[in-house]
Amino acid sequence: MPPVNEELTVGEMLLKAGISRRAFIKFCTATASAMALPPWMGAAMAEQLRHARRPSVVYLSFQECTGCFESLTRSFAPTIESLIFNVVSLDYDDTLMAAAGDQAEAALSRAMRENFGKYVLVIDGSVPTGAGGAYCTSGGRSAVDTLREAAKGAAAIVCVGTCSAFGGIPFADPNPTGAWPVTAIVGDRPIINVSGCPPIPEVITGTLLQFVTTGKAPDLDEHLRPKAFFGNTIHDRCYRRPFYDEGKFAKSFDDEGARNGWCLYELGCKGPTTYNACATIKWNGGTSFPIESGHGCLGCSEPGFWDHGSFYAAQSGAGWGKAGASSPRRALELGVAAGATGAVLGVASAGVSRLRQHRSEQDAHDHDGHDFDRKDG
Amino acid sequence: MTRLAEIPVRIEATVRIESPAAAGGLGGGIDAILSELVSLLERLAEGNSPGAIDLRSLPMSPQDRAELQRVLGDGEVQATVNARGLSKVRETRVSGVWWIEHFDLQGESVAEFIDVSRVPEILASASDEIAADARDLRARIASRPARSPRESHAARQ
Repeated sequence: MPPVNEELTVGEMLLKAGISRRAFIKFCTATASAMALPPWMGAAMAEQLRHARRPSVVYLSFQECTGCFESLTRSFAPTIESLIFNVVSLDYDDTLMAAAGDQAEAALSRAMRENFGKYVLVIDGSVPTGAGGAYCTSGGRSAVDTLREAAKGAAAIVCVGTCSAFGGIPFADPNPTGAWPVTAIVGDRPIINVSGCPPIPEVITGTLLQFVTTGKAPDLDEHLRPKAFFGNTIHDRCYRRPFYDEGKFAKSFDDEGARNGWCLYELGCKGPTTYNACATIKWNGGTSFPIESGHGCLGCSEPGFWDHGSFYAAQSGAGWGKAGASSPRRALELGVAAGATGAVLGVASAGVSRLRQHRSEQDAHDHDGHDFDRKDG
Repeated sequence: MTRLAEIPVRIEATVRIESPAAAGGLGGGIDAILSELVSLLERLAEGNSPGAIDLRSLPMSPQDRAELQRVLGDGEVQATVNARGLSKVRETRVSGVWWIEHFDLQGESVAEFIDVSRVPEILASASDEIAADARDLRARIASRPARSPRESHAARQ
């Protein structure tokens, strides 16, 4: 990670990294377009950020596969997203930083102390609480303890990826490590969920940029995701949607319908209940998204996507939203007995935060809202 | 091989990819776009802020796009900006209406919009950069070795 100069503005740092004002205007315009903001907002965003001091960002990785980070930093070519992320933002990231051991821990402590109340805390990965938090430790401290301490001084927490946002794959039945999303641990800080397995890099950067520009969270949906990116289902914006409307469905992956590009709903596509921007922003620099490759959406940006039945069963038969509420995971999703959630956490906070109660109520409401017929009738 | 288009693809003759969008079935709304442009131009003429219409947010068919380009026509100015990928800025025949498309380093389009302004922001120089470069230029003048009267006279010849 390059050394940073606290006195430089974002514009000056970008210039040092070879990104001119015009290139930055262009990037912000494209970001504004992706976020469905008015196009003039791009130039305004660029102007404001150019003169802003470098925002402090602390990036903590817990129980994760590093796929989210790879999504952002391993693009086809060095993108302006990764440059901005690498050059401008990071005070601490244990994947990128050269420091290790005590030096790394000291860097984290310093970043949190010097920017207390102002830094953006990015969390990648779920938080295992089983065995006293022993499933994920760094520097002799459990992830859950590190998260609690880092959250105290955070202006906001951005959960990157479905694991930190909703628990993700570690959270799937039988959840052997007692994994939880950040919202189950931290209840008194603004939280923005950028879900996806992994999330789209432009969505990660766009969310961070908007927070840094405006100093507040963007409009969020019931799962605390930015509406700009998660306001529509994949199905709503899918180029195959007209075939769904016409009742033309592929029945197998190599039949005439599949060859003709018909709707993949009957092959298990979860697009109708999945909120994300894959169909508009797309992947790999805007090249395509999975449905363009002939495979249905897995629903990876939705809570509990791993436990919602087969990826290849049509939604009406996949039990979507019909799982029982007996497991802790379902209890959290359905908002059943928020107090029981706190008890299950064990090492987590004994108190049930207002935010979590609110979230549970919202989740319960959203559970109803995920009925396929209601969304796409 | 860095682009999808460079991957060799063999298309079977019997396969026909249907797309309602390609057939123009999702288009429409050109008149609405033109009306919006008139509104933005009138506001600009009255001294209000520039405006823009994001073309990527509109469900335009290729036919719609061609029709919009035909109606707006070509103006006198065409500019290319090379800033981490090209940006093509084209004045239309309508004063104050610019068609702008940004491309990334791989040549993929990342933003396309119609800008309503006197000069698009991407072309104009920034005030702080102008002031900084004026200071820099003044310093360079001051650091230049002084010429003798004879050298100055010779330079003017």
